[in-house]
Formats: sequence, C-alpha cells, structure tokens
Amino acid sequence: MTEMFSQNNKRDFWEHPWGYMESFFIGTGLLLTGFLIEMFIPSSEEFLISYPYNVVFLGGYIILLFVAYIWFSNVQLIRWLTKVPASISSIVLVTFMVMIMGVVPQIPSSNETITFLGLNHITTHWAFLFMLFLFLTCLGLVTVKRILQFSWSNFGFIVSHLGLFIALVAGILGSGDLQRLSLNVYEGRPSFVAYNDDNHEVELPFAVYLNDFIIEEYNPKLALVDNISGDIAQNNGKNLYLVEKDETYYFQNYEVYLKDYLSDAGKHGEKYFFVNEVGSPPAALVSVRNVDTDSIIEGWISSGSFRSPFEALKISEDYSLVMTIPEPKKFSSNINILTKEGERINTILEVNESFEYKGWDMYQLSYDEKMGKWSDLSVVELVRDPWLPVIYSGIFMMIIGAINMFWLGNKINKED
Amino acid sequence: MTWIDFPLYSGIIGIVWLLGLVFLFLSYKDVNKLKYALPILFLGWCVLIVFVGKLWMELDRPPMRTLGETRLWYATFLPFVGFVTFFRWRYKWFLAYSILLATVFLMINYLNPETYSKTLMPALQSPWFVPHVLVYLFSYAVLAASSIVAIKGIYDFYQESFSLETMKLADNLVYIGFAFLTLGLLFGAIWAKEAWGHYWTWDPKEIWAFLTWMGYLTYIHYRHFHSHKTKQSLTILALAFVVLLVCWFGVNYLPVAQTSVHNYTQQ
Repeated sequence: MTEMFSQNNKRDFWEHPWGYMESFFIGTGLLLTGFLIEMFIPSSEEFLISYPYNVVFLGGYIILLFVAYIWFSNVQLIRWLTKVPASISSIVLVTFMVMIMGVVPQIPSSNETITFLGLNHITTHWAFLFMLFLFLTCLGLVTVKRILQFSWSNFGFIVSHLGLFIALVAGILGSGDLQRLSLNVYEGRPSFVAYNDDNHEVELPFAVYLNDFIIEEYNPKLALVDNISGDIAQNNGKNLYLVEKDETYYFQNYEVYLKDYLSDAGKHGEKYFFVNEVGSPPAALVSVRNVDTDSIIEGWISSGSFRSPFEALKISEDYSLVMTIPEPKKFSSNINILTKEGERINTILEVNESFEYKGWDMYQLSYDEKMGKWSDLSVVELVRDPWLPVIYSGIFMMIIGAINMFWLGNKINKED
Repeated sequence: MTWIDFPLYSGIIGIVWLLGLVFLFLSYKDVNKLKYALPILFLGWCVLIVFVGKLWMELDRPPMRTLGETRLWYATFLPFVGFVTFFRWRYKWFLAYSILLATVFLMINYLNPETYSKTLMPALQSPWFVPHVLVYLFSYAVLAASSIVAIKGIYDFYQESFSLETMKLADNLVYIGFAFLTLGLLFGAIWAKEAWGHYWTWDPKEIWAFLTWMGYLTYIHYRHFHSHKTKQSLTILALAFVVLLVCWFGVNYLPVAQTSVHNYTQQ
C-alpha cells in the first residue's frame, strides 16, 4: 500500500486533483461520522421511504447527477467523484461495512460494544447508508459521464454500471413499497387475514381456500445410535442410508438386511401391519447379523409420529438401530383464490413454483411440521414488490455486461 | 454407481494423472514427451467425467448439494481451465498446477467419505439449482487459477524475472472468472425470488459472495487504471481469493453461520 501512495506524496495533501489519500480521508471521515451519529442517535428503524416519496427522491437524485456532471464537472468535488480513486475507495469502504455484517451475527447481542457501535444492524447503520450513498453517487456519475460520451466501445461499461446502479437504487428505494405477508390457510376454510413482518393483521382483497395440502416424503433413513449417549454413532450423523425393502447395509461389524418396509404402519402385539390412518408412522422389519459371531437379531423399527412412539432395535450392549423421521420431498397446496367479484381460480402452489395474482406473488412457505404429512395447515407467503420489473431490468443489464465481459476479455483494457 | 465406487475411480484417475505429470515434467527437457503427456492427462479427465455423469444418474438429483459434491465439480472444472489455458498460452506449469489441485480435491474427497444420501430438500428442487452452482464452481476454479498466477507473479517479482505475459494471463482469468461470478450471483438472486419471494436477504453466504465480488471488482478497477503497478494488483488479487475461500468454506465456521439458509450439509 505504501507504494500506492508514494506517487501522491510528491504533491501536497489536498492539492488538485485529489488522489487516494484524499479519497480515503473523505471516505473514512464520512464513515466515522456515520458511527458517531449511530452512537448518539441509533437508527433502530429501517430506512424506508414509500411511494410517492421514493419516486420523487429517485427522480431528484438522477436529475442532480446529470446537473452535477453537465454544469459542475469543473468543481473539484464532482471531478473527484468521477475518478478512479473515489471509486476504489468507496468500493473498499462499502466492502468494509459489509464485512462487519459478514462476521457479526445480525441479531440482538448481549455484547455492549457491538450494541453501542450498532454492529449488529449494519443494513440500517448510518455509516453503511453514507458509504452506500458515496458508492452510488460515484457509480451514478461515471455512468452519466459515459452515457453522455456514448460510443459503442463504451457499451459494456454502460450496461454493467447502469445495470448495477438501477438494481441497487431500485432495491433500496423499493424496499419501502415491498409488502410481505404470511397467510395461514386451513383445509376447508377460506382465509383472507394475513400478517405482515410486524405481526399486524392485513386484510387481503381476496380469500384463499385450501382444497388439499399434499406432502410427498422420502423414505426414512437408518441410523446406528449409541445406547448411552443417544448420539448417532456413524459418520457424525451424516450419510445415512435410505430404508428400502430388500437392501443390505453394513454398519461396523453388523450386516443389516431390510426384510420389509411399510410406509404407513400400525402396531398390533409385537408386529406392525399396513394401516391407512392419520398419524400412522413408517416401520421396517430388519434382520441384523453380527458378522463376527454369526448371531442374528430380528425386529421392527419405526420412526414414530405425533400419535405413535418410535421403536428402536437394540442390537448389542452399545448400539441400537433406529429409523429417522422421513424428510419431505415435495409439498404443495391445492388452493382456490376467491375474489370479491365471485371469481374462483384454482391453482397449485409448490416450493419453487409460485403463482401471481393481481400483483401478488404467492409462495408455498411451510406447514405444520409436527403433523408432517397429515398437516391440514399450509402457510402461504404473499409478496408484492412493484419495483421488481425495474430491479430485473438492472439485473438483466448486468447479465449482458457479464457476457460482454466474458466475450471481450481484457482486449479493451490495455491502452498503454 | 455411487460414492462407493469413488475410491476405485479416484485411484485410476490419480495413477493416470501422475503418469501424465511425469511426462509433462520430462517435456521440459525433451519437447517430444509433450505429445504423450497431453493425451494421458486428458484420459484421466475423461474417467472423472464418466464418474460424475454416472453419479448424477444414480443419485436422481444433481450432485451439487454437499461440500464433497462441490469439490468433485471443482476437480472436474480445474483441468478444463488448465487445458484451455494451455492451448491458448502454452503454460505447462499452469496445466500441472490445475491437475495437481484437482488431484488434491479428489484426495480430500477420498479421505472424507461423502454422502450416499439421495434426498434433496424441496427448496433445492429448482431449474436454477444446476446453473447457479455450476456457474459458481466454474468461476471459483478460474479465479483460483488466477490467484496462483498472482502468487507466481509476486514470486517472479522478487526473482526479478517478472514478465508482462503473467499479468495478461491473470487479467484474462479474472475477467472470465468475474463474468461467471456475476452470473452466479444474479442467477442466485433470481432463483431466491422464485423460491422464497425475495432476491436479496443478506444471508451470510450472500454477504460473503457479495464481498468476493467486490474484491475482484477492486482488482479490475485498479488494473484498469494503474496497469503499471503490477505488484499492488497482484496483492489485491491474492487477497480477493482469501475472501473467496471464506465464502466457500469459511462461512460455515463463522459465528454468523447459524443464520444461513445455505447450510445444506448438516442433516
């Protein structure tokens, strides 16, 4: 780093044009100011401005960037903002703030220093907002500069920089208009009162009726547990085998053969039989052979459910075989959307497959995990983000910029 | 074909590559040996691809969930980067490095037997899953290569044998790697929107991915305007790779890991 500054040291501090020394001086000055404000006026509230103020702010900001560049580009401050030292210092300082976020968990903390400096809520931290503002202003000005001096050789530069500017600005300003609600829907009952992040009730302009909630599950897994500690005694609990009929697995010196597997089972006496009842857990009949002594132990194991206890098979003084609770493979809700006009729209919500209705994106969020596949509750998330098309256009421009960069490499970069 | 066959396959690949590397080193003395080295190394790579392909078919899900699976992809991409770079720039040392590093990753997988699990949680069952992970791992492989170039450059600098060609190679690798890094990040954002309703949630993995992106962004900007200050550029490049490593492995060990949705290895 010393060499980086050496060139600047040949001239006086604050002599024009400003270099890295001045850039980092201004940047860190702004950063410290942010921290000072944070200590005295902590910003616990999220920085949100909503429609129409965010649109006005955005318009004003963009006009200001153009005006600043067109009429005031000979002002030292504006000229400095369009130069590389300002860009690099703002990139480094934003990176610094984000790095704090990447190390300190962003949750309420019992550590006084963290709380005092506000390190556990960086996204609403004054210093972060200042750095982001500096970063965006640099980015905005260089983009304006290149747009006004447009040539096709600037194309990659413009799409990538403008795309990033649009995506960031729209993301920040748009968060004030973002609505995210969660709606509990029970089978056979229409629901229209959702809750927002602060747990306030929000009435929807339509109702959601759950016809059916469906879960597909993977088979349960087989695990060897330590009788004393109760811990899984194999591969640190990872890499468990799926229970499948007629499979043979090896645990240490045991050969485990799965004689039978029932996905829904009920116990009668010592045995399990296939039943079709709510809360019937999977069960398997296993035969365990000790390879050293050739002795065989046979018995049933079951993962249990909210209605039935689990069943383990003790295979020695030290170990037992157990069956884990099945993991969900796919869960979905068959719903009807009922509008005030009396319309009825049928659709299926699934993880990764949302449904859009009148500006609301509906997502399959969760269900009653204790009830598992017998859950009659489905939690639907509703998101309304009117700025999304703007953000997507920014992302799309960045994708074009990335492809352009990949294609051209650094052919354009070496003038000298 | 599952991970059960991995020791056999990795053993074959290791032996074939070792043989190829011997020929590659001999080619420094006798250029004719190169025509043996390349096909042998390529053969080892083909065996690896066969293994990855069969594993994918057998698992019924893309083998990209666990760290071990991503190491496997990394080991697959590195030789590719090595071959392409070799044909473009004729760096034998670079090809040797990429093969050696790929071998190291196969070895790590051999020493940490991986999951036989076929389960894949619903959130990961998305058409974005494969492009998101593949693009990222390709990018990581290329950027890792660029950091090796950086270290070689710094070494050459002290040996006073530094050549501008090294810088060109570093730049090319960073540009390609950064383009893919950007795509990976954006694909991730689009997928998150499709699956969870929001494109950016400051999840720890997202934070570190963003930091990695910013690190390489710094390098590109610094290079662009200070192309003669090679030593500083190379230092930035080496540091950026440290951030990348934190993003890939380190996040799981940071205090923030508990709040991450990208933690799929624990079951």
